[in-house]
Amino acid sequence: MVTAPPTLPDDPADALAAVGALRRLADRVEDAAVERAVLDGWSWADIAEALGVTRQAVHKKHARRVQRAGIARGGR
Amino acid sequence: MAFERFTRDARAAVVAAREEARTTGRHTVESEHLLLALAARPEFGLDRDQLADALALEEQRSLAAVGVDAAELEPRAAGRSRHEPRFATSSKLALQRAVATAAKRGDRRLTAGHVLLGVLAAEHGRVPRALRIAEVDVDRLRREI
Repeated sequence: MVTAPPTLPDDPADALAAVGALRRLADRVEDAAVERAVLDGWSWADIAEALGVTRQAVHKKHARRVQRAGIARGGR
Repeated sequence: MAFERFTRDARAAVVAAREEARTTGRHTVESEHLLLALAARPEFGLDRDQLADALALEEQRSLAAVGVDAAELEPRAAGRSRHEPRFATSSKLALQRAVATAAKRGDRRLTAGHVLLGVLAAEHGRVPRALRIAEVDVDRLRREI
C-alpha cells in the first residue's frame, strides 16, 4: 500500500488534501476492520481496547452499521 | 434563514446529499455530497458521474502525494454508513454561504441555485480540487446560476 517513503508535498494545498484523504482512508479501514473483528467473534470491549477508544464510542459508531450488514452482534 | 425558506428543490438537494454520503458508506455529509446531489439535477449543466470520478481521482492523487497507493487497497466495509450521516463542517459552511447569498441578493426563498453557489464559494478543499480536475468553468457556472 505504501509505495514510497511518506513525503510532505511542497504545495500546502496538496499536503492538506492528503490529510483529508488519509482520514477518509482510515475511516474505511476502520469500518472494514471492525466488521472483520465482529465476524471473528470479538466483543465490542475488545475492539474498543484495540482501537484505544471507549466501548460506548465504538458501539455507537459501528453497531447499527454492522447489524445492518447482517453481521449480527448484540449490545456487548 | 430557517429551513422553511428552502424551496422544495433546495430541500430535495439536501436530502439527496445525505443519500450520496450514505450510499458511499460515509459517516458524514460533506460539501462534495451537496455538489453531487446538485449535479444530478438537469438545470445546472453538470455531470454527476463525471464529478464523482473527479472526486475519486482527487482522492487517489492526494494519497499518492504522500506515498499511498489506494488503488491497491480496497477495504470496503459491507455495512453502509449508520442510519443518518451527520452534516459536517464543510456542508454546513456551504449551506451557511447559501443562506448568506440569498440574503445578500434579497431573495426570500432559498433555491437549489443558492445551495450550489454556497458549495462553489469554497476556495479550498475537495470541491474546488475536483472541479479543476473535471475542468468545470466555475466562474461561468456562477454567472449562469
